[in-house]
Amino acid sequence: MTTLSGVESARDALSADSARGHGGRAALRRFSDCVDHLLQRLFDEAPGSVGASLVVALGGYGRRQLCLQSDIDILLLFDGPIGAAEEGRVRSILHPLWDLHFSVGHQIRQLDDFAELEIDNPEFLLALLDARAVAGDRVLLDGIAARVRTPAAHARILDALKHLIDDRHARFNDTFYQLEPDIKDAPGALRDLWAARTIAALTDPALIDRGPTDRARLDEAEEFLLRLRSILHAQHKRNQNVLNHESQEHAARLMGYSGEPRHQVERLMGDYFRHARAVSRSLEWVRQTAPVPVAPNLVRSRDGIRFVDAGHADAHPESWLSLFQAAIDSNTPVADDALTWIQQRIDRHTPEEFFPRPVDRTALLAFLKPRAGLYARLSEMHDCGLLGRMFPEFQAIFCRVVRDFYHKYTVDEHTLLTIRNLERLATGAVKGRERFGNLVADLTHPELLVLSLLFHDVGKWRDDDHAEESVRMAMEMMRRLQLPEESVAVVEFLIRHHTKMSLIAFRRDTEDPEIVRQLADLVGIEERLKMLCLLTLVDVEAVNPETLTPWRADLLWRLYVDTYNHLTLEYADERIEHQESGLRALVAGRPDDVAEAEITRFVEGLPRRYLQLFPHQAIYRHVRLSRDIRPDDVHADLEHKGSLWELTVVTLDKPFLFSNICGTLSSFSMDIARGHALTNPNGLVLDVFQFTDQERFLELNARGKEQFLTVLGAVISGATDVTERLRTREQSVLYRRRAGVTATPPVIHADNQSSRRYTILDIVANNVLGLLHGVSRVISRHGCDVDLVLISTEGQKAIDVFHIAKAGAKLTDAAIADLTTDLHRMLEA
Amino acid sequence: MKLIKAIVRPNKVDDVKEALGRVSLPGMTVTEVRGHGKQKGHTAIYRGKEYDVSLLPKMQIEVVVPDNVVDDAVAAIIQAARTGEIGDGRVFVIPVEQSYRIRTGERSDL
Repeated sequence: MTTLSGVESARDALSADSARGHGGRAALRRFSDCVDHLLQRLFDEAPGSVGASLVVALGGYGRRQLCLQSDIDILLLFDGPIGAAEEGRVRSILHPLWDLHFSVGHQIRQLDDFAELEIDNPEFLLALLDARAVAGDRVLLDGIAARVRTPAAHARILDALKHLIDDRHARFNDTFYQLEPDIKDAPGALRDLWAARTIAALTDPALIDRGPTDRARLDEAEEFLLRLRSILHAQHKRNQNVLNHESQEHAARLMGYSGEPRHQVERLMGDYFRHARAVSRSLEWVRQTAPVPVAPNLVRSRDGIRFVDAGHADAHPESWLSLFQAAIDSNTPVADDALTWIQQRIDRHTPEEFFPRPVDRTALLAFLKPRAGLYARLSEMHDCGLLGRMFPEFQAIFCRVVRDFYHKYTVDEHTLLTIRNLERLATGAVKGRERFGNLVADLTHPELLVLSLLFHDVGKWRDDDHAEESVRMAMEMMRRLQLPEESVAVVEFLIRHHTKMSLIAFRRDTEDPEIVRQLADLVGIEERLKMLCLLTLVDVEAVNPETLTPWRADLLWRLYVDTYNHLTLEYADERIEHQESGLRALVAGRPDDVAEAEITRFVEGLPRRYLQLFPHQAIYRHVRLSRDIRPDDVHADLEHKGSLWELTVVTLDKPFLFSNICGTLSSFSMDIARGHALTNPNGLVLDVFQFTDQERFLELNARGKEQFLTVLGAVISGATDVTERLRTREQSVLYRRRAGVTATPPVIHADNQSSRRYTILDIVANNVLGLLHGVSRVISRHGCDVDLVLISTEGQKAIDVFHIAKAGAKLTDAAIADLTTDLHRMLEA
Repeated sequence: MKLIKAIVRPNKVDDVKEALGRVSLPGMTVTEVRGHGKQKGHTAIYRGKEYDVSLLPKMQIEVVVPDNVVDDAVAAIIQAARTGEIGDGRVFVIPVEQSYRIRTGERSDL
């Protein structure tokens, strides 16, 4: 057993070796072993603890490379709670080390502390990788090792290590050509060498040998660097690792370089840079080649994304989609062996097993958003059988051939090509189609369009009318996915009518207003029109490369514009009438607490598009809000919908009402994304706004909703002046327009033709805080009633359509001129 | 021999094709074209902004016919393509001097 004096002798021996330039790996190992023996003795002589305990060597000491002035990093581990007995044991081990003037980096932990890995302490996790049992019950270390040596923990450690390397290199300006290098921390020095070995050990140990610097060459570099480090520790008698100019002459002499002192130094540093270069290249190679963790249980290798722990993936088929999601996120394919692995197991699972929880179904919809890589990943899923297993309906058209004179591909490939075409529109990859690309960006739920595309032709497994069969099969899929009622309605609509718009655009007289009106009636709202237009475009394009000529794209675009204008400019004259079919269906499906009379009283006279804008359940909520309403009452509801909030306000019409509601939203910095303002003939107003809560006011304040609704009520009743509230907000530095950012000139188009009742103002302007409030305030100041408003945004542009009247009639040309002049003045201010 | 060149509304191509078939003229060339005559297009508004749609999409049908069926062919085209509104299109009749069959190189009088 080593005595205290024995350790001092060992330290003297290492000091002597170091001073001769012989403090390399063998010498450090001897010193480490001697410290091991000392700790074993101290451990044995220490008073007993209640449970088992262990001394663990960490970091450099764990690697048996304890340098002369390095900290002795140890972990004192106990199997149970740490009480007085354990503390006594700790003192008996640590105090003698301190008395020997060792610098000790110690951690005292109980085994339970490692139940969860400390992912916020990457240095400690890294130190654990070199953990070595020195004295005590070694079984305790096996428990920790089992937790650290899991693929998930390795992924976390790798990620942390790479960040540490980047931060460290940044401190040295990312170059190993340092004239006064830090032998431990500089790029190309000892930490890089250990990092290269660690990354290889955690990912693929054979990487080191396949790289530009073989194992023996790295060992040689390590020996050289450790000898230098030992010299510095012996020379400075502290943990000094910088080989400065003064130390270089000293070290060169001790390392045995011959010649004049200047030449000795030049040779020493020449060798240093040779070794540093070898280490740097090795680390770079390992970093580039080693698999990179990209998501739980997923890494990115050179050939693509693969699972880390195949056993875990095997037990969790719901995680398989994440493989393809990560591939899209990383802009790489899925690795071939991962696809083969799926192919070999695909028959074991039912469709339900891929989406058992709401979070899995949400992940599927997120995956289907059109963006670069979606087509390629769906094709991989199709090729390995996963797509057909998740959606047996899609499998029905696997390699399906429909013989006609125009389709050039099998039905499954045609379907996937439609999604590729949509992806290209979304990413702006096709020149001349930017106008369609903008429509993709406008969509609230583009994933539903992709889902519709995926299923639009599945009915072609049969030879008769495929659209209805596709709808039937898609309904089955949506039942499994438990999609909400509104989403089901959208997908069903798009699939059922997926050939309608091409039929009209290419085979009907689109200059006939009646044809346009019929299409507008069919789609009902702009969102569906945009989706149907895009579906038509990508579907036609996927038939064969020559089908979609610029001429046809133009025909389709003109039909889209005419129908869009019909929907947004002419809807005011088409009102819900007594006993019409949409109203009858609404009444028939009403819940018990809603009476037929109150539905008809609320709905009759609203624009017909109201029935298409909102699902029935939402309309029943509106009806409930309208109950017992009196002047100055505000019945409002605020709910979180995905990334947006939705405010629904029911009240009785009064001057400046719309302006006040918009102003209240803006005074809380809410950014209005879209909305509708509707007024029925009884003067009942329904305003629905969807907005983002830019300052997270509603999220961060427990009583935020209540506070907002109180302010809204006060503003509408006139008790609070919203203009004053808004002025302070607009003066905030957060919302002041930045210098140098040019605003797009506003566009105001007044239309006195499209509607029988209203003058229509189409306003396109920069989407700035308080825009709607300002515009509607000017309109109200001109004595106009704001009866209907459509609010939408496209990037930084706000696109708002106001239906206004003055004293129940359209505006005169003179009144329009006055109003637009004032609006221009306000927008350009 | 005459070349009949008809500019018609896109949705009228199938009707014209059928009508020419009825006067025993099954062959034709159809091209997607843009243009305007008296109709001159119009200015459309999309999201508040005006844009020019003066060049309207039309279909051009070309058919070469013997002199003795020119009137029947023209009448068939007009009847099939006519809506009575501005923008129905035009029919041109152009003399053709010679015609050759590419496959054999022989001169053909149809």
